[in-house]
Amino acid sequence: MHTQRIGAIFEKDLKDFMKNMMLLMMPIAPILLSIMYSRLGDGEEIPISMLYIIVGVTFSAVTSSSMMTMMAEENEKKTLRGLMLSPASFMDIIIGKSLVVALITAVSLAISLFLMGIEPFLSAQAIIGLVLLFLFFLFLGIGIGLFAKSIASTSAYIMPVMFLFGFTPMIEFLALGEDSIAIKVADAFPIMQLINMHDTNSWVPIGVVALWTIGAALFTYICFKKERTDD
Amino acid sequence: MTGFKLEYETMKSEILPPISLNLNESHTTAIYSDTDMQAELIHMLLNDRDITVFDRSEGLYERLTVGDNITFYHKWFGCKTPLPEILVLFELQLCANKPLRKCSQSEIARVYYAKYFMMDTYPKVFHEPIHGVDIKTMNTFINMLKKIADDKTPALILVSNIEHALLLSDVAYRLQEKGLHEIEIDAEEKDETTPEDKPTSTLTTAKLFKIPAKIDDKVILFDPMEIDYIESQDGKAMIVINHESFTLDSTLAEVEKKLEVYGFYRCHRSYIVNLQKVREIITWSKNTYSLRIDNQIKSTIPLSRTKIQGIQDMFNLK
Repeated sequence: MHTQRIGAIFEKDLKDFMKNMMLLMMPIAPILLSIMYSRLGDGEEIPISMLYIIVGVTFSAVTSSSMMTMMAEENEKKTLRGLMLSPASFMDIIIGKSLVVALITAVSLAISLFLMGIEPFLSAQAIIGLVLLFLFFLFLGIGIGLFAKSIASTSAYIMPVMFLFGFTPMIEFLALGEDSIAIKVADAFPIMQLINMHDTNSWVPIGVVALWTIGAALFTYICFKKERTDD
Repeated sequence: MTGFKLEYETMKSEILPPISLNLNESHTTAIYSDTDMQAELIHMLLNDRDITVFDRSEGLYERLTVGDNITFYHKWFGCKTPLPEILVLFELQLCANKPLRKCSQSEIARVYYAKYFMMDTYPKVFHEPIHGVDIKTMNTFINMLKKIADDKTPALILVSNIEHALLLSDVAYRLQEKGLHEIEIDAEEKDETTPEDKPTSTLTTAKLFKIPAKIDDKVILFDPMEIDYIESQDGKAMIVINHESFTLDSTLAEVEKKLEVYGFYRCHRSYIVNLQKVREIITWSKNTYSLRIDNQIKSTIPLSRTKIQGIQDMFNLK
């Protein structure tokens, strides 16, 4: 690790982010969505699952997708050639980019939740949950970004991430039976676990989400190893 | 004087001869070869050692400005030279706020040079570094080579254009199937040994004088005024007209004698130029010179330091 290099990447990618229309639209999407949802409610309190849909949209569309797009662009344009003289410098690149993504995600999520009502998230438990969820989506983004060879391919890769993990609470709208397999499986997904956490106030869901995060970290590690040996 | 040793046995490659070359730390070395041979050589360099070949083919950050790009690389490589100095060295100060995608090819080439300069690699290998760039950019590249030599980093330049090889390097080699041979530059005239020509033709034939070049079974007769310049390759003189070249049977010294009266001038050990076609005399920063020919492709050919005086006299320059 090399703080000067991380700083260099962070500065460069932040400037690049601000000039890239494709990436810039991403953090705006959840904000627009939350304006819409808060209007729909007619002053009533917005249900927790609705808030978590916004969280899911933010993490999948901003965190995973920007990370993927940024890494895919470097792969596509071969801009990293010559920069990575050691595996350690590759870590610097990933960390630098993650910091940019973290900053953008935080801004976008904060604005969206302020619009929707931030009260349910003002507990230590909920914040830990959000941080773990962020890391989960970040690892997914890095992992996929490692093998995405072009920007165009990322829009295909982002779909399963969005629908499986980002929009899990939407499964209620599919009108499946209460004891259908799909609902039971979906209940184990990270966002559903966090919704349960708000109902039960137990720490078990945090543990389950942590397991998901570790799983995503492993996925990233495997992608990383595979990419290294391919070169 | 130490340096970096390049040594390859020929085995894997069919067309590449064995190479053994010592790269001097304070010299720039150039290898001139055709493109096939060059591709093999680069392949070899990349495979056998961890050498990075700078070929300007990787991407830069196109949305960012020139300044942002340079700042990033400057930080990333932890370059000791201050940033403003780098910008001035590569003449980028005027376009520092311009996004890269709006820059000209030459400006982008200078950003690449700056990046390569800041990279801490040993040795530095450049592939066709000044292909398709303007004169100002070539000059910054020459300045950069000087800096690299001062830093005691050997530099190797791979080109497929002999003029570039002679312009950029201190020591130039020609790579052929037969092996690697040094191209002598600026050596004092050694052609004294050439046998005296047959008695020169009479005035009447001189008026009709044409240069014969043989291609397959045809003999083509060239009017001296058509010729852009004549270069020497493997001891044989070659007439160059735009991008075509035709081999002559005689040596450069023989041709020189015949053509002197038509306003041809031996501007370099291996070049005779048609003075009627010289458009520019370019002075490079390290006190080297080139002549730019007024043909379609605007060829530049080297002008020896020892020959500059002759040219100046010829054109009444001071």
